[in-house]
Amino acid sequence: MTYLIIRALNAPILILLVSIGAAIQTSLFANWPFLYLQPDVILLATIWCALKRSFTEGGVLVLILGNVAEVHSGAPRGVFLATYMAVYLMIRGMGKLVLIDQLSSFVGLTLFTSIFWKLSVLFVLSTLGIGENIWRHTLALMLPWAVMEGVVGTWVFKWFEKFDWVTFKDPRARASAEEALQLDEEGL
Amino acid sequence: MFKYLKEYRFYIILFLFILIPIISIDTTARAPRDYRFYDKVIVSITTPIQASITWTLESLVHLFQNYIYLWNTRQDNIAIMEENRKLLNTIVNLRETQEENLRLRKLLGFSEEFSLKAVVARVISKDASTEFRTIRINRGESSGIRKDMAVINNEGVVGRILRVTSNTADVVTILDLLSAVDSIVKRSRARGIVEGMTDEACQLKFALRTDDIQPDDLLVSSGLGGIFPKGIPVGKVSEVKKKEYGITQTVEVRPSVDFSKLEEVLVITDPQHSPMHVTTKVKLPTGTTASSAPGPSASPAPETAPKPERSRQ
Repeated sequence: MTYLIIRALNAPILILLVSIGAAIQTSLFANWPFLYLQPDVILLATIWCALKRSFTEGGVLVLILGNVAEVHSGAPRGVFLATYMAVYLMIRGMGKLVLIDQLSSFVGLTLFTSIFWKLSVLFVLSTLGIGENIWRHTLALMLPWAVMEGVVGTWVFKWFEKFDWVTFKDPRARASAEEALQLDEEGL
Repeated sequence: MFKYLKEYRFYIILFLFILIPIISIDTTARAPRDYRFYDKVIVSITTPIQASITWTLESLVHLFQNYIYLWNTRQDNIAIMEENRKLLNTIVNLRETQEENLRLRKLLGFSEEFSLKAVVARVISKDASTEFRTIRINRGESSGIRKDMAVINNEGVVGRILRVTSNTADVVTILDLLSAVDSIVKRSRARGIVEGMTDEACQLKFALRTDDIQPDDLLVSSGLGGIFPKGIPVGKVSEVKKKEYGITQTVEVRPSVDFSKLEEVLVITDPQHSPMHVTTKVKLPTGTTASSAPGPSASPAPETAPKPERSRQ
């Protein structure tokens, strides 16, 4: 029973943790020159959801996390929802073609995704007719930001992995817990 | 029916995942907006974290600037320093208070000069994305702050209020691409709209090619648009590019405000444009309200001070 409750709490706690991460990101990296090194915790969470959650659960989580991002930004409403969802669907699609199961491949994927996300933001803003002032700035900072995202991602993904393990979301942790339960039932 | 729903479940969910973000996109990007109830929950969870991190960082910076730099001196004068250690701690605190006092005095003087009712607020966080340049301040509806109020500091225009909760407010700075401030060149009275461009520069748009605009010209708010009082510095012209043809010219502007060191701001809650109103009320961050009445020491109204007949926009 406890195992099921802890497992059910995985999603709300993940949302809470990512919200706290976003708060830390926006205040810790608020001053120059750290402003340019600001990682995007929500993008990392989106990548994690795309790789480690079911299609429906991951998608719903991405919609909620996109909203968290919009609360912490002056971006026009819906821009982050659309771009994070684009990233999510892109990774889901890519997951059908490419095997992504190691931390090193996660980092590579993060670099690629960061660039893809920035380009999606530019595209949506241009569609809204407000991207003309920003594209130079975005393109200039795109690579350093992607590298920063990759570096931070190595730690954040490890923390997510530990979190999934503790909350039995990880398939191996789940299998081991179920095995232990079965052995317990059999009196062994 | 259920059979079909089950069969096409994946496609239905995929369709919803694409549809929801698209319909949620707000095409009126520059319009003020409200927090939804669940947004307020997120803000109420994250604001204390942001405020405490900002406070810790500020304290560390002050400690570093005022105390750790003195360690070398202590090695040379260890005996004297031992005696004075307690005094130094006091000095550190006093210096911090003095610096804050100086900044607040400047803000107070500025609001007096323009005869404004304003609330002083502290910056607690910045935008989650590097594309946008909003800031969050530690004052909200409970301090009388409403959407679309002007935010300034002693250097000039900072931005406008985008949205508010009871204890925080988000400010769209003039560097943000969603910001637009109607401005005039102080020297030649040429007019244009200052829009955000990068982290350090803005662009003066719609300035006619025939307008007389030179580098180092000061831009001030025009008072049009009903948000910013007239005559508040917006920035200085840093570059002017004129083509041989076309209607407008490209003008790059450096904001008057140093956004990299922005700590406190002044939210104008009631811009009293009449020079007859010289009583200023500024709510200090501690919650106290300082008032100043006209007197011999009151500074005279500047050249750019708004006139009574054009006070309301």
